[in-house]
Amino acid sequence: MISHKDSMRILIADDDEDDRAFFSDAMMELKMNNELTLFNDGKELMDYLANPDIILPHLLFLDLNMPRKSGFECLKEIRSDLRFKEVSIAIYSTSSSEKDIEETFVEGANIYINKPNDFSKLKKVVKEVLNINWQFHSSGLNRETFFFSI
Amino acid sequence: MKLAKLYKNSQVFKIALGIAIAVVGYIACVFYTQMRSLDSSVDIITNATETQLELERVLSIISIYETNLRSYIITKDESYLEKRFLRRGEIETNLKRINVLVANNPARVKDVKRLNKLIDYRFKLFRETLLLAKSKMPNSEVLNAKLQESNDFTELMKNYVYKTINAEGDKVKIHNNNHQFELQDSIISAFLLVILSLLILLLSFNKMNVDIYELKRANDELKFLNHSFNNAEKIAGFGHWKINLETNTYSFSDNFFRLLGLEPQSFVPSLENISKYVHPDDIEYVTQMHLDSLVSYNPTSLMYRFVLPNGDLKYVMSVGSFTRNGKGQMVKTGVNYDMTEQYKRTIELEENNKELISINEELESFNNIVSHDLQEPLRKIQMFISRIESTEVDSISEKGKGYFYKIRTSANKMQTLLIDLVNYSRTIKGDKVFENTDLKELVYHVIDDLSSDIEEKKAKIDLGDLPTVKVISFQMEQLFINLISNSLKYSQEDVAPEISIFSEKIDKNEVFDNEIITDQDYYKIVVKDNGIGFKQEYAEKVFILFQRLETGSKYSGTGLGLAICKRIVDNHNGFIKVISEPNVGSTFSIFLPKKA
Amino acid sequence: MKLYIKYDGIVACRVILQEQLERLEIKHKLLDLGEIEISDSVSDECFAELQAALNRYSIFIVNNEKSQLIQKIKDTIVEMIYQNDKLPAITISQYLSEKLNFSYGYLTNIFSENTYSSIENFIIIQKIERAKKLIIEDQLTLTEVSYKLNYSSVAYLSSQFKKVTGLTPSAFKRIVDKRRSLSNNNL
Repeated sequence: MISHKDSMRILIADDDEDDRAFFSDAMMELKMNNELTLFNDGKELMDYLANPDIILPHLLFLDLNMPRKSGFECLKEIRSDLRFKEVSIAIYSTSSSEKDIEETFVEGANIYINKPNDFSKLKKVVKEVLNINWQFHSSGLNRETFFFSI
Repeated sequence: MKLAKLYKNSQVFKIALGIAIAVVGYIACVFYTQMRSLDSSVDIITNATETQLELERVLSIISIYETNLRSYIITKDESYLEKRFLRRGEIETNLKRINVLVANNPARVKDVKRLNKLIDYRFKLFRETLLLAKSKMPNSEVLNAKLQESNDFTELMKNYVYKTINAEGDKVKIHNNNHQFELQDSIISAFLLVILSLLILLLSFNKMNVDIYELKRANDELKFLNHSFNNAEKIAGFGHWKINLETNTYSFSDNFFRLLGLEPQSFVPSLENISKYVHPDDIEYVTQMHLDSLVSYNPTSLMYRFVLPNGDLKYVMSVGSFTRNGKGQMVKTGVNYDMTEQYKRTIELEENNKELISINEELESFNNIVSHDLQEPLRKIQMFISRIESTEVDSISEKGKGYFYKIRTSANKMQTLLIDLVNYSRTIKGDKVFENTDLKELVYHVIDDLSSDIEEKKAKIDLGDLPTVKVISFQMEQLFINLISNSLKYSQEDVAPEISIFSEKIDKNEVFDNEIITDQDYYKIVVKDNGIGFKQEYAEKVFILFQRLETGSKYSGTGLGLAICKRIVDNHNGFIKVISEPNVGSTFSIFLPKKA
Repeated sequence: MKLYIKYDGIVACRVILQEQLERLEIKHKLLDLGEIEISDSVSDECFAELQAALNRYSIFIVNNEKSQLIQKIKDTIVEMIYQNDKLPAITISQYLSEKLNFSYGYLTNIFSENTYSSIENFIIIQKIERAKKLIIEDQLTLTEVSYKLNYSSVAYLSSQFKKVTGLTPSAFKRIVDKRRSLSNNNL
């Protein structure tokens, strides 16, 4: 069981510097005990994940629109590797299209976040996502049916 | 009807004719034999009559002799005896004639022989009587006895001859009777013959007439057909061809030549001659396919080009198939169809299509720009504003705060517009998956999503029963979001918005686009509010893209919301209309077909 | 081939516990709701081995009393939602305080302090989890699900469903179906 005292390991891959900054600021302001690692794009993230010695993250944020390797490609690759089956994947994208949401869920994403246009909203969203993900980790909920779109 | 049918069937007619000819032949044969037997009866009767006559003549000669002899005895006049020998000769000739007449009748020949003997004996009696009479001293007693004997014998002879004559007479009588019958039969036969011949003649004539008429009509029809076919070929731009595989003869229709820009039948149809006109790039393929088909008997369907004498290109679709003609010979027939115009049009269409596709792609990329690339920096602007407003608020002057407020409002407005544009383009393109959707549940979600706005406006929302309909659910959601947010947005000041959403039975006289909308075919869903409304004359205009009625700063809008609604309802083959009154409210009615 | 299984986590957990305890010859009595009563004292090594064995199944021995209580609250809620075919009509607060012998106020405080969530939130999440199971595994209609889980209406259920998942139940079902057919096709 992850008690609230345990830190949650979180990775985020987003090619937009500002978005990464907003995200880490939001995390910081939430004052939750989390370990956040930032990646500049999907390729960088996948290279990191390829190392078998790393401690697996609990939660992974993927921007969909990234150069070199898109979030969708990362999602597919990660989901085809059983090593990451316990990792929750959150899509973090500007697109709010139903199609993108459904497609990423079908491909194995658990969380879909439409990038908010207000910082306090972002904080709220991140909090909710961490919360619900924590619930899934701690309460033994079925991962196959774990979807959260916000 | 059946008879008429049989009459028309020439096979049956041939059989009937054969039978009729056989019957006529038979009757003719019968007639001939009857005539033959009639002929012989006449002969027999003539023969008998002549025999009778000759016999009577013989008798009369004998009687004359006797009379003469008696006269001599009485008168002793020698002149009575003068012609005695001559008379005997006469009898001989008579007998000879009788012999000829009765030669066919052995019994009669016997009779004649006996008669001959009787005559001989009678003449002997004559001589003896004459000798006695001539003697110098005639013994009257002996003479009388002799005369008596002569007389008796004559009587005997007479009896005999009459018996014979009677026999001949009976024969004649019988023959005569037969003759009568035969004559009657012959008449009937002859009559039958004539009638039958006449009938056959008539029937044949009639049949011939009918046949000729039919033939003429068929011929006319064929001519007409040929004519119209030729015309059709000309008009439709096709020509036909035929290849007899047995005789290896080709034939091309007139229009076949015209398609090549030539006078009809201007060259002898053959593979070699036609090949001259096929485009050099196509000739190998076309010839190969054609020759292959002559082996396999598989139908061919080729598209190739002809080079016309004037250098023009003609695109031709040539379709051929195999069949056997009346003589059982394998024949390949086919049609060449002029595709030039069609081909050109297809190319044109393809080009247009390509252009359309590229325009569409451009639109799509534009849509992408709008939905992502434009929203991205905008979102950042909004984010930074929110950051400044929350963290730097103390170090900004009131004026600065006011500016930031205006930036934020503008940015938000722009965002709404971008979202609406994306939504609008999504109603044009995109996956249109129709699923059975409980509209009540759907609207419930919409209300849920809009709950903050609803609370802010202190609106009262009344959701009635809604049907389950086969719809594109995300579009339907958009429709209700737009309608309900519209109602919230254009609410009257100082009056809490009241919005009711319900379904309603369709009135009998509901008409849209000249179509009568019945409850049987359509659902009617109503979104009704007590907002500011508008004049009914704008009822059509509100659904037009970028048409806004309220331009005041109090009401912000993109002019897309209701246009999106209309598109969505159109996508569902439904209708939307509105009844509105200023300061009373608007009632939007959506009609969705029950059968998607 | 891909098999879809339906399982009862509580039963599975009890079986695992039983097996492991028996393997280490620990005299025990399985109580309700994730509690085990151990009769004899257990050596440290043996306890460590049990702990290691159970960790493999993501079963953790909780020794902290507060943690134990929170776990008990959770277990009670899960049990209540899952064990009965139809949810009891009494309020959960009543049920919890009766079962655990604490005031509901105390329980909510302790729960909120130690988790990122409130008891109410936890209940909603669990109910929606059960609803997902009923929709996917039992192929129940929303009407049936809302009846079983004591929702006043289908609309209320689906709005709560949407709050927890961000999806409508039908979109949820569509996604799961697509995902399953996708992974079936890949096999």
